[in-house]
Amino acid sequence: MPEHAIVTEALTKNFGHFTAVDGLNVRVAKGELFGLLGPNGAGKTTTVRMLCTLIEPTRGTANIVGYDIREQAAEVRRQIGVVSEGVSLYKDLSIEENLKLLSTLYEIPRPKAEVRIRELMDMFAFREKATRLVGALSSGWAKKAMICAALLHNPQVLFLDEVTSGLDPQSAIGLQDFTRKQCEQGVTVIWTTHYMGEPEKICDRVGIMFAGRLVQVGTPDELKHSVSELSVVEVETPGLSGGQLEKLKSRLKEMRQVYRVKYADPKLEVSCERTDTLAEEVASTLLEVGARIRAINTKDPTLEEAFIALTGGEEEIDRFLESADRKE
Amino acid sequence: MSIAGFLDDSIAVAENEFRLFRRNRSAILISLVVLPFFFTASLGAGRGGAGTTYYPTANIPIAWVDNDNSLASIRLWHSLATSHDFRNLIEGYTEQGALAELGTKRIYAVIVVPKGFQNDLENGYQARLILYTDDSEPGVSDQIQATLTTYTQNFDPNVDVQPYLSQLQRQSVAGVGIVTKGAIFAGFNVGLTTVLAIVQIFAGFYEIAGGMSREREDGTYARLLVSPIPIGSIMLGKTLFDVLLSVIRTFTVLAISVYGYGARPNTDILTLLSLSLIIALVTMGIGFVVAALKVGQRAVVIIEFFLILFLFAFSGLIIDSNLLVGASQVISYSLPFTYAFDALKRTILLGRPLLSLTFDLEYMIGSIVATYGLAFVLLHFSRERLIK
Repeated sequence: MPEHAIVTEALTKNFGHFTAVDGLNVRVAKGELFGLLGPNGAGKTTTVRMLCTLIEPTRGTANIVGYDIREQAAEVRRQIGVVSEGVSLYKDLSIEENLKLLSTLYEIPRPKAEVRIRELMDMFAFREKATRLVGALSSGWAKKAMICAALLHNPQVLFLDEVTSGLDPQSAIGLQDFTRKQCEQGVTVIWTTHYMGEPEKICDRVGIMFAGRLVQVGTPDELKHSVSELSVVEVETPGLSGGQLEKLKSRLKEMRQVYRVKYADPKLEVSCERTDTLAEEVASTLLEVGARIRAINTKDPTLEEAFIALTGGEEEIDRFLESADRKE
Repeated sequence: MSIAGFLDDSIAVAENEFRLFRRNRSAILISLVVLPFFFTASLGAGRGGAGTTYYPTANIPIAWVDNDNSLASIRLWHSLATSHDFRNLIEGYTEQGALAELGTKRIYAVIVVPKGFQNDLENGYQARLILYTDDSEPGVSDQIQATLTTYTQNFDPNVDVQPYLSQLQRQSVAGVGIVTKGAIFAGFNVGLTTVLAIVQIFAGFYEIAGGMSREREDGTYARLLVSPIPIGSIMLGKTLFDVLLSVIRTFTVLAISVYGYGARPNTDILTLLSLSLIIALVTMGIGFVVAALKVGQRAVVIIEFFLILFLFAFSGLIIDSNLLVGASQVISYSLPFTYAFDALKRTILLGRPLLSLTFDLEYMIGSIVATYGLAFVLLHFSRERLIK
């Protein structure tokens, strides 16, 4: 039995001249919850689609529990479960009917399938909604239905692509807990998201994807500390105007590379290239532009800040998102 | 709301429609170019337009049975055979032999000159010419009869080369009268052939192409693709279901035609059902091909509209395929549905056994294999294009 559930080798996908995924090399251990973090258009979904055999790589290959995605696609499909935006259930069928259909496709013997369907229905508290059409379910329940479908055949690898998007916080947390339990039972999970806070909470390791490339891989802690050149200060400065904020940004940029300036009255966060004097610089600049300061602290970078620093800063991400929008 | 306000709104809507239309190149192409030009030009040329003289019956094979063997009958044969209108008069048939060939598509009419033809003319009576036609081709039959009339109305047995008289020059004199004979079909028999084919084509195409397109747009096709089911099974599963629907449709059409409109098909249910399903399968094959081209549901409706229009135009429903010439006839003869309509007419109207229509069957089954094969290859290779 292979040691790794997923191994990719120089996995690349081009759409015409556009490279969506560029030479991805990653190894995911069995039972690991691996996060793929990146903004929209970073290549996460394309990566998942290649690994799910929905699309073929332009170059390179990957192995899912020992099966090659190019040569043994049918076997790969038996080993995986997928929850992704473009992979849906039949809206005009009930969850039970959808699961029955899938159990046939996965060649699960009928009595075994019935037991498994009941098990999943209980697990997700679907009993009362079992006969309700999927199209009539709320987005949270619909997502649960998709997870049921993905788990039906006891897959060894589960792909959860932007699975919490559109969910209320309570459901999202419930889903995160559930996913962790799946990993404890030996299921390998690929969790893709653009919500920076999620992987930090639940993932064993996180791969940061940006512009089709895997920028960095590590545990959330490793990633935060890998950005040794990052300083973050947090200032409580009420009533900062747009003009004051712009002046602050331009002054700071004159002094050093600024990754991000984020303001939500009264909290201002500035992340810059590493310096021991960032707090003083921010404080003096704020006073210069006429702002009031209630408190100022340096703090450890979050995964989100590490991500921004690793991908070249907020402006770089904005530029990328704009170009991704244009391509769409 | 005032009338002015109402009109303003209407104009605004019209302007918006124009803006949308202007930005929709396919709508412009379809409504302003393809529809008016393509069909008019191709069918116009197919019926001898564009400056050429059109002789609709010129190449239609017609058996000539001369039971009189007189100078008058030879002169009539000569005047027909040397005309532009009857270049394919076939001699050598006995009357019985020729009639047995009617409905086989080897000949479309039999002209019989009965004994006493010359005598009647010499004695000042109206001589009779018997015309048997393949009534499963009503357009062709009418055309042959009309053209033959122009040659026989003023036939003079004493003139070696008969003058061709135009419609205006025709005189009403005692000459040769045509007695037309053919099968008499129950009221809705001809209608049944058309309805059966059209219903299967309309429904089968939309069910497959539209259904696949909906699955693609809803993301359920991707769900199938991430499961271990092969594309062939998806195609077969959808086909099987649609075959079931097609069987129901066949019996529905048949029941309404027979009990509602008095149709009396001249064939057995198994033949009817087999032909109906063959038509449905060809249509489904085309549906799969269209689905593999990643067309949306709206596009499927537009394509269906064109498909039906195309079939009406070229498969012998508006103009008999035999009366078309040139490229239009080539198009007509390359469409599997032409053979399907033909087979339906030959079985329902003439009662020919299905297995005697070897070429029709081969062509239709070949088309099923070809369209399904093409669809399979396209679906296989356009796998990633078909994901939402």
